[in-house]
Amino acid sequence: MPALKIEGLYKIKGEVLRSLVLESGKNAGRITVHMGTCGISSGAGDILQVLKEELKSSKRKDIFVTTSGCAGICNREPLITVERVGEEPVKYADVTKEKAREIFQKHVLKGEGLPQWVFSRGWEQKEMEFEGPPSPKMEKTPHTRDIPFFGMQNPVVMKNRGLIQAERIEEYIARDGYFAAAKALYQMGSEEIIKEVKTSGIRGRGGAGFPTGMKWEFASKSPGDVKYVLCNADEGDPGAFMDRCVLESDPHAVLEGMIIAAKAIGSHQGYIYCRAEYPLAVKMLNLAIEQARNYGLLGKNILGSGFDFDVEVYRGAGAFVCGEETALMTSIEGKRGMPRPRPPFPALQGLWKKPTVLNNVETLANIPQIIMNGGKWYAGMGTMRSRGTKVFALTGDVKNVGLVEVPMGISLGTIIHDVGGGIPKGKKFKAVQLGGPSGGCVPVQYLNTPVDYESIVKLGAIVGSGGMIVMDEDKCVVDVARFFLEFCKDESCGKCTPCRVGTQKMLEILTRICNGEGQEGDIERLEKWADIIKNTSLCGLGQSAPNPVLSTIRYFREEYEAHIREKRCPAAVCSALFKAPCIHACPIGMDIPSYVALTRAGRLEDAYKVLLKTNPFPSICGRVCDHQCESKCRRSTLDEPVSIKNLKRFITDHGTRPPVKKPTVARKEKIAVVGGGPSGLTAARDLALRGYSVTIFDEFPEPGGMLRWGIPEYRLPRDILRREIDDILNLGVELKANTKVGRDVAYEELVKAYDAVYLAIGAQKSAGMAAEGGTLKGVVGAVEFLRDVNLGKTPPVGERVAVVGGGNSAIDASRSALRLGAKEVTLLYRRTREDMPAQEEEIKAAEEEGVKMQYLVNPVRFQGSDGRIEQVICRRMVLGEFDNSGRKKPVPKLGEDKAVDVDMVILAIGQETVLPFDAKGGAVPVNKSGLIELIKGKKTATKAPMVFAGGDVVTGPDTVVSAIAAGHHAANEIDQAIRLKNGEAFSLPPEEEIEIPLIIDEEIHEAERACTLEAGCAERIKDFREVELGLSKEDAFKESCRCLRCDAKA
Amino acid sequence: MVAREKTEGVLEAQEEFTAEQWAAVDAVIKKYKKKPGSLIPVLEEVQEAIGYLPKPVMKRVALGLKVPFSEVYGVVTFYSFFTMAPKGKHTVRCCLGTACYVRGGKRILETLTETLKVQPGETTPDRNFSLETVRCLGACGLAPVVVVDEDTHRQMKPSKISGVLEAYDK
Repeated sequence: MPALKIEGLYKIKGEVLRSLVLESGKNAGRITVHMGTCGISSGAGDILQVLKEELKSSKRKDIFVTTSGCAGICNREPLITVERVGEEPVKYADVTKEKAREIFQKHVLKGEGLPQWVFSRGWEQKEMEFEGPPSPKMEKTPHTRDIPFFGMQNPVVMKNRGLIQAERIEEYIARDGYFAAAKALYQMGSEEIIKEVKTSGIRGRGGAGFPTGMKWEFASKSPGDVKYVLCNADEGDPGAFMDRCVLESDPHAVLEGMIIAAKAIGSHQGYIYCRAEYPLAVKMLNLAIEQARNYGLLGKNILGSGFDFDVEVYRGAGAFVCGEETALMTSIEGKRGMPRPRPPFPALQGLWKKPTVLNNVETLANIPQIIMNGGKWYAGMGTMRSRGTKVFALTGDVKNVGLVEVPMGISLGTIIHDVGGGIPKGKKFKAVQLGGPSGGCVPVQYLNTPVDYESIVKLGAIVGSGGMIVMDEDKCVVDVARFFLEFCKDESCGKCTPCRVGTQKMLEILTRICNGEGQEGDIERLEKWADIIKNTSLCGLGQSAPNPVLSTIRYFREEYEAHIREKRCPAAVCSALFKAPCIHACPIGMDIPSYVALTRAGRLEDAYKVLLKTNPFPSICGRVCDHQCESKCRRSTLDEPVSIKNLKRFITDHGTRPPVKKPTVARKEKIAVVGGGPSGLTAARDLALRGYSVTIFDEFPEPGGMLRWGIPEYRLPRDILRREIDDILNLGVELKANTKVGRDVAYEELVKAYDAVYLAIGAQKSAGMAAEGGTLKGVVGAVEFLRDVNLGKTPPVGERVAVVGGGNSAIDASRSALRLGAKEVTLLYRRTREDMPAQEEEIKAAEEEGVKMQYLVNPVRFQGSDGRIEQVICRRMVLGEFDNSGRKKPVPKLGEDKAVDVDMVILAIGQETVLPFDAKGGAVPVNKSGLIELIKGKKTATKAPMVFAGGDVVTGPDTVVSAIAAGHHAANEIDQAIRLKNGEAFSLPPEEEIEIPLIIDEEIHEAERACTLEAGCAERIKDFREVELGLSKEDAFKESCRCLRCDAKA
Repeated sequence: MVAREKTEGVLEAQEEFTAEQWAAVDAVIKKYKKKPGSLIPVLEEVQEAIGYLPKPVMKRVALGLKVPFSEVYGVVTFYSFFTMAPKGKHTVRCCLGTACYVRGGKRILETLTETLKVQPGETTPDRNFSLETVRCLGACGLAPVVVVDEDTHRQMKPSKISGVLEAYDK
């Protein structure tokens, strides 16, 4: 092959472009199989084989099968692109060998498209626009650029994504490859090149973010004839693979960038240091270099310009630290890859002590386009101090996994939610790890932060190489910090003591914490070590190793404290801290595997006993609990979580209830419990079992709190509730019903008369709406409405009812209104369905029963006549920026107000407390939301002596099981406080031992979660009969077999 | 030359390197001799030819490149790709993550060590298998898991082990 001159480049470009044009007879069709690494691992090689076979049997000479690199969307591989004369190209996703055959037979040969398998039509890159309508049957198929994952990207580095074969230099040239090098060699001097790069504002994309133009300037000014251009292809960050994509699919972009750099600084020899873990990249680079040399694009007299420059690939040997500039150079020199102190800086004295420029793969891949289009063009993207685009490797708990190239300055939330598609499986976002082991975790409150160098540093993380690992609620940040620190410790070269010893010491502390051996002061120790290591380490590895630990402490300190003080891992990951994740996730630590195992063995009475050990209301929780246990059930990694809540209910429906034995009153102290809800009743039960005299004061005719007056009967039958409450009262607990403390009995009297007081009065008032007309007749609060329904008062219900809110109370009110005769019930919620806090099962049931849902609307005014409500004026909401809960904040959109005709409005937008004493009086500390404040570190103790509080009155509206947990804590703290006063020792009462069968199945097969029986929709809304009917005996047995027994000890 | 030293706790196969093997080593040295700083590429190619880098081979490289043996030793022990103990043709990874452990992973490991007659971290004398333990491959629903090279073997039982290994015994 003769050496090329510029005319030669044009000639090749013309030839290739002409060969790509489709025309009937010669070049009627082309199928491209995308063979990036993800494609190959998903079977693209087999697809290619199949297509070649089909082509051969068809005997068609005008159809071609070819390959190209990665198409960009990792989780839909394998992907193939089909092009036919006169048709828009179409991308097929999730292709199998069978599908490939069909696609060839039907679409390629006959023109019958298969839209059900198509991912998108059209190319990602704008300049490849097809002029013409979509091909037949593809009208409904989205265009690639209309899919947010692609449409929101700005491919610059990824310019050739999916379009060229890396093994053919001619295809790179056809996409304007090497024209920039020609321009730089023939038309530009060193200063001009550097000026253009400086104008572009491009900063090192490897992580340090140093201005590239400036680096080249220093090197160009350094004296000497021998200078080196190095490419850092040692992409070592776990979670980063953007460099690999470029090296494997577009290696010439790197070579061309190096030629231009060489001209800029006056170098004639370059090296690409490529990690050995990327064998395909090494192969492609060597092939690219060989082809470039053959065309005279590398070596002596490039393009006839008189400029010499050659490149060699140097393979790494498995050391992360060799990604550090000076360590990399030391490695090329054949030594142990240990960093050197700087100054002297490599631009002055680098490889073999000669002036050297080291640039990252991504940085270099940008250079040819900066030269062709000008620095101003590049600087036109991004932000003032972070110009251009950046490629992020978006992975972890996110729907769309892949490489995302976007302009700098786009917000984190936009990348994760809009481009990435958000968090899968309905889980909540917890944090995103930016910058790999040198970076930090950013929590939900900062999703609006623009991603640029400075803004991210302010958050305690770094943009780094661009790794972006999304973590949902099931990840433990302490464990993640430990993972990254272990990585740094393993990769530490050992040269300097702070890194070598320091990372080891920090890791020891973190490991202890994750193993349940954390000690008070460990967080402070970690911070002290981090400070020393950051400030005294020789190189970037040590200086940044403490970052993940520091950033997680900064934003998730409570998680560390839970591990250390309570030996609790909120995400249920650190398995040394618990027996099974379901037990750990339950606020009252129910022994789930045991009762499920007993159910499987048919021992229902024993199972019931296990339930009652921790839960006085198992029949109730088996119906209404929000089952945090199921969200952490490990079975979900195989198919679906075990239906724990329904199994609990099954036990209480079919098992014999253990009899209640009245304990003897062994102690003289008297306890007053104010509020007969789940929290008060639990505390009363625990204390009675320990021999105390307990009196419950409740303002209503019957106890039960929200269980009786809030939750509707169709969810919780009254006889079930009565039975469980009676069991508690039969322990000898005194009940003073219809007695409101603060009205019928003075609060101060109670405090004087009893040895301890537990305030469990809940939040019994609906929050109002600050909208005009809120006092019109027919506008009521959900709490009051539901209470009236439950008191049997049959409150008047309009024909057209609107319910405002999105929580469980809103759903309860909606479904109750239907049952009381409303013709039409509409629920108005200001956010979207995904953001509703109500339980999914409840929302579905409401929809089935005919409740109309309107989302993204918010009432701004209530209108009526004669003092009665007639209309609700609703304002449209649009989703704006992210708020502190990680959801997009609804923002009112003016000018689109709609009137909804109603004759009743139920407000379910929040609850407030009603206290039996003056909140400002100081008797018990109360915060500005009206909630009682506890002593820091205590679960129920307040500053007022022997006065305790728990449940909704402390937390605001929360779940039943949280209230029960508070009741247990109150009993413990009251018992402890009393004994402390008397100088007695405190110990928890003993428990009955029940032998639990251990059956581990040899084989596990995938099995769907059992469904419960339900009352028919049309009939059930006529009254308040129970809707959920529980599991059948056969299904309960099958379901209990699905438990993996994570509590088993090997 | 008989190599029978205990390196990194592993008894090396008592082995004479053949003339062909030495010739291969020398060829690599000759190829890179004139290039400064080529120790790492030399070691990479020698390891590809011989399979590992025991002391005698390192000494040969040191002499050939005129580099102190201590420097060669330092480089070999620094980079994780170099190994002074032979690695097997097939790598057997036994997962000991929590789910696998609870479902009998320990017994699987015991059976593997009995069958292969090596401890985790070691290689069989016929160089066919290297045994390693790993901590959680993330395939908990398939527990207990054993990965051989690129193949994931699910729901392993001690009785299945010989069958699985036989398939690789070529």
